[in-house]
Amino acid sequence: MIRRWSYVGLTAVLAIAVAIWAIPDLRERGWFAYAPDGGPSLTPPLPTLSPDLFLYPTSAQIVLLAVGIGLLVQIYSTAYLGHHPRYRSYALIIVLFLVAMIAVVGTTNLWTLLVGWEVMGVCSYLLIGHEWETAEARAGAAKAFLITRVADLGLVLAIIVIGETYGTYDLLGAAPFAGEGHHSTAIGLLVLVAVVGKSAQFPLHSWLPDAMPGPTPITALIHAATMVAAGVYLAARLFPFYADSTVVLTAMAVVAAITMLMGAVLALVQVDLKRALAWSTVSQLAFMVAAIAAGDPEAGTDHLISHGVFKALLFLGCGCLMHAVGSSALSAMGGLRRPMPVTFWTMTIGLAALAGVVPTVGFFTKDSVLHAIQHATAGDDGLAAGTAWALLAVALLTSLVTAAYATRLWLRAFFGAAAEGQDVHEAPHAMTGPLVVLAVATFALSIGQPFHLGMGVVSTLVAAAGVGIVVLAHRDGSALDWSPAPLAAELGLDRPFSRWIPAVVAPVSRLVVDLDRDAVDVYPRSSAGAAGLGSRALELVQSRNAQRYATIVAAGIVVLVVVGVVLT
Amino acid sequence: MSLLYPLVLSSALFGIGLYGVLARRNAVLMLLGVELMLNAVNLNLVAFDAWFADQLHTGQVLTLFTITLAAAEIGLGLAIVLALFRAVRTVDVDEVGR
Repeated sequence: MIRRWSYVGLTAVLAIAVAIWAIPDLRERGWFAYAPDGGPSLTPPLPTLSPDLFLYPTSAQIVLLAVGIGLLVQIYSTAYLGHHPRYRSYALIIVLFLVAMIAVVGTTNLWTLLVGWEVMGVCSYLLIGHEWETAEARAGAAKAFLITRVADLGLVLAIIVIGETYGTYDLLGAAPFAGEGHHSTAIGLLVLVAVVGKSAQFPLHSWLPDAMPGPTPITALIHAATMVAAGVYLAARLFPFYADSTVVLTAMAVVAAITMLMGAVLALVQVDLKRALAWSTVSQLAFMVAAIAAGDPEAGTDHLISHGVFKALLFLGCGCLMHAVGSSALSAMGGLRRPMPVTFWTMTIGLAALAGVVPTVGFFTKDSVLHAIQHATAGDDGLAAGTAWALLAVALLTSLVTAAYATRLWLRAFFGAAAEGQDVHEAPHAMTGPLVVLAVATFALSIGQPFHLGMGVVSTLVAAAGVGIVVLAHRDGSALDWSPAPLAAELGLDRPFSRWIPAVVAPVSRLVVDLDRDAVDVYPRSSAGAAGLGSRALELVQSRNAQRYATIVAAGIVVLVVVGVVLT
Repeated sequence: MSLLYPLVLSSALFGIGLYGVLARRNAVLMLLGVELMLNAVNLNLVAFDAWFADQLHTGQVLTLFTITLAAAEIGLGLAIVLALFRAVRTVDVDEVGR
């Protein structure tokens, strides 16, 4: 027990250090206000990996969110996973994960950012595959790693283009000159590729739901504090570099619109609580991307923080339910509000925040996002007015579906008849404690959030409609299980990957195998053959026959004498 | 008398003896080969002794020693061959080695 808490202590030390570092930077709410600092040189310096730590108020908020949720996850894990034989490596990888996130958020050096970015990819691979005894966990981990790795190429290329364009790899040096039309479309599209992979946007979204075999606290960490947050953070951080490119913003808006609606609809039809929450994350991340596309990255990062808090709450609560009933399937749950009051009330708050109910923080940040999109419908800069209107319509529709699936999950898990033969107890304090903290934060973070009356009323009405539809359906006795075939198969969006990629990769890899066998292996094989021949020749000498040895010695002496005579 | 004749004879003897040691499989004949080589050496010693016209005849004296040594050696060698034959009922060195 003491040993387990020592990892919590390690995380707490990290969190305190980050807090001491970051809290002074919170002074003012503000976007990444870059101050010009000399002119850009024309040739980029060599890539370096200096830490170059520097925090803007927004990055300070995100870094505090990351370590805060990391600490809560560590505390939660002592009870949830403390008896696992690999708990030690698990807890340490979480710390590494947090350090990588701090590197991504806190540095101004793009190459250091890339290193942190990749370390996060590795950590998520290791943690999703923590239960590697099961085939699903291995497959999910490999899928997450491969998809995010492919998308990371976008970031590498974006960094190179930024370096070549602005003559520096340092954001403080480059950003003041951003937005002067320097390759902004190229940079923006490359950044978008990286963000689409890391933050699980269409069409590279499918790794996130498939990462569900990972331990639930890890899911909370990845969904709330680290992995997917990094993608949105990057998009917001590099926003000045592509802000003037309509192409990029339109592409982002399209990606976000597809992803948010798809994620929400798929969350509505899931039969597994954890997977439904995963699709919900996909959808909510698309909200943040939409805000950035609408030209208000600050609204995006605000929603990132609020979503981080309530989604961590929901996943940790989901872990409590799984701990109690032994499964994440909704069919195994039901009627859990009485035996698990703490989980019930905290998850109710979390789901309310997800649905966007006043006065949770989810309402205010969603309101900011919708307001930002509405602001973009003027078509002044960035998005064309038509695109923005379409995005606004999709976002409102998504709000409706979001409220509907949040209500559905709430009703399915906590109301109705309990599954039979279960003896359910509330989770231990180490697990419910973080829930309470996060539930309080869900309200506390609302303080000082901007509020837009018109959009607030509209979004509240939309959310109420979503809730109302589901509640009415529930009253009428519906089991709230809708899964038409294409939705149950999650639209078959993995099929292109599983069909086309092998179609390309298989011939190429076969060619590589052939080359390896017939071209590269010639050298080792011929050297092996030469060694074989040589040894067979030497074997003739090693006859175990004393007379033959003596003959060789005699012949050698004769040769030496003859040579000596001839040479002298 | 030219030194050439005894030297050619002793070389021939040495060569035959060497061939006997290296090629023969019979242990007794190998010992005979060794004897031939020793006697080739003896012949050399005597021939050079005569050619140098040494007052003390050290070559001939050394030859006597060698003959004694050869007698002892062949006695010992034959004893070994006899013991070998008693043990494995053969004096073929290839058979023995196997």
